[in-house]
Amino acid sequence: MENVLKVAGLKKFYGGLEALKGIDFEVGRGEIFALIGPNGAGKTTALRIVATLLSPSDGKVTFLGFDVKKQPEKFREKISYLPEEAGAYKNLKGTDYLKFMAKFYANSEKELKEYIEQARDIADLGTRLGEKAGTYSKGMTRKLLLARALMTKPHLAILDEPTSGLDVINALEVREIVKRFAKEGISVLLSSHNMLEIEFLSDRVGLIDKGRMLDTGTSEGLKEKYKARNLEEVFRSALQ
Amino acid sequence: MNKFLNLLIKEVKELITLQLLISLLFTIFIFYFIGQMAKTEMKKAMRTQKIAVLNLDDSPFSDELIGNLKTANFQPEMVKDRDKQKAIEATKATDTNLLLVIPQGFGQSLETQEVKEIETYSYLRTFSLIGSRSSVIINAVIKALNEYLSNDFLKKKIPDIGPEKIKNPIKSRDFVIVKDRMAEGKAEAVAGFVSSQSIIVPVILMMIIIYASQMVISAIAMEKQNKTLETLLTVPISRTSIVTAKMLASGLVGLISAVIYMFGFRYYMSGFMGDISQAAAASGVTGVIQKLGLTMDTKGFLILGVSLFIAILVALALATILGVLAEDYRSAQSLILPLMVLVMIPYFLCLFSDPRTLSLPAKILLYVIPFSHPFLTTQNLFLENYSAILYGILYMLAVFVVLIIGAARIFSTDKVLTMKLKFRKKKVQF
Repeated sequence: MENVLKVAGLKKFYGGLEALKGIDFEVGRGEIFALIGPNGAGKTTALRIVATLLSPSDGKVTFLGFDVKKQPEKFREKISYLPEEAGAYKNLKGTDYLKFMAKFYANSEKELKEYIEQARDIADLGTRLGEKAGTYSKGMTRKLLLARALMTKPHLAILDEPTSGLDVINALEVREIVKRFAKEGISVLLSSHNMLEIEFLSDRVGLIDKGRMLDTGTSEGLKEKYKARNLEEVFRSALQ
Repeated sequence: MNKFLNLLIKEVKELITLQLLISLLFTIFIFYFIGQMAKTEMKKAMRTQKIAVLNLDDSPFSDELIGNLKTANFQPEMVKDRDKQKAIEATKATDTNLLLVIPQGFGQSLETQEVKEIETYSYLRTFSLIGSRSSVIINAVIKALNEYLSNDFLKKKIPDIGPEKIKNPIKSRDFVIVKDRMAEGKAEAVAGFVSSQSIIVPVILMMIIIYASQMVISAIAMEKQNKTLETLLTVPISRTSIVTAKMLASGLVGLISAVIYMFGFRYYMSGFMGDISQAAAASGVTGVIQKLGLTMDTKGFLILGVSLFIAILVALALATILGVLAEDYRSAQSLILPLMVLVMIPYFLCLFSDPRTLSLPAKILLYVIPFSHPFLTTQNLFLENYSAILYGILYMLAVFVVLIIGAARIFSTDKVLTMKLKFRKKKVQF
């Protein structure tokens, strides 16, 4: 599998605080790579750097050959980012929000229509898409945002806690959608606290703690390596 | 697809909310309502007003005084009771606000050139200025009567010389010089008219700056509060476009809001002051103003417009930086304060003092604040100080460039997410 995203020696300082201490990982085309770790491990910082929101203090991040630091605009054309705590514009209707976001990526009216249709399909909000986003529940907003993130079929989808705030049924649907898109060739970099979700979704996992990458591998491979029954036990063993 | 236009439309849509429209309509309604009310009250005050008169004199002079009251738009109502205290009490029970008591021997004292006092009693049933207007008018009537009586006396005593020559042996002809133009007129009237005309400029500027800046600060703060900023920053559009779209949308909506606000303000002011230009025309000041070249021509309006526009851009750029510091919508409201102070300082300095006579530190402060320059532009235009206007515009442009580079740089770096002005302990999410 061709590695499209390459992260090497990535460091990030917030003032005197070293949030990332030189992490390395790679994501292949159509692969779902998940970062797992406790709160404050550096997952969101890593995702934000790949999403061009933060600039790396040291190290290199490239996607399809483009450098995140030198060519952030090129990066943004290829990626789509769903932050953990994200919202939609409350005064815009669901459809208008999707249209607004799609216009940044569409090169023609036809493409724009395709994106909107795709988003309608992913969001599955029916007539509620005609209502203002301010009236949506947390789950509905999350589905709208996920639809926004995937409708343009980005080369890389960066999903921070994609099922955050969703009920069991909606979370299941979202996981299916992510899986389906990955099969279509979209690379996915995600983070989650939900180990079951990680096991279900990810092709490979990165264990991160206190800004260091402890280990990477497939769920099965890691379980075997650490002689663990699940990823939680893997993580505990990796910490020791 | 025009990405910038897409962003701009979204920003405008976000800003024009139902709350904004309601508050604007409400403001106009309130201003219109107060203006109309004031106009009605003024008309009432101008209408024939009742005046209770207790005439204890009954001489031709007192009759003449009462006759003069009629010509001054008063409707005298004679009090029948000859007792002053009872007359005061009786008038209190009516809706008449003024009682005039002409003492016994009033006419005779005038004939013997003795000073005799007449008494006026004003019933202040309200503390509004309009409520006390009738006593002002009656004082004017008494002044006119004094003039008439003294002239009459002088005519009788010295028939060869006109009373005017005796009372005012020295007469002055007043001329006003502005640059190389001269016209006959009173300096205070000219200065009063010019300042009444140019006062509108700082008011408009202040309104637009405050409205537009508040909008841009709130727009950025709302993006943060609603957690939409991170997503927006990852879409394929340059950060400069994001900053510019926010500034332009806020500028547009701020401008429209300010125009609507000023429209309402005009109603409000006209209710109290009437039409200034009509009053000026009636007093003959306009002729002097025109002779002195103190009227704004198209070129003047254009220069003023440029100066105002650049000042608004400076405010918007500064507001953009302040907006980044805001954590949420609530903190954004307090961040407008430094901007308001920067607008208020030149506003009051220009309103109440002459910039040329200010102390050096005050002068430096005035000229360093970019918003001072459009305030000074009107006066400089009238005085043809074009170099001062040009320096002001260039200075504002320089400040704008520095600020916009700063704003774009902040938006292009981590600072847009990490820069916060808060007093609680800073939390960073890893």
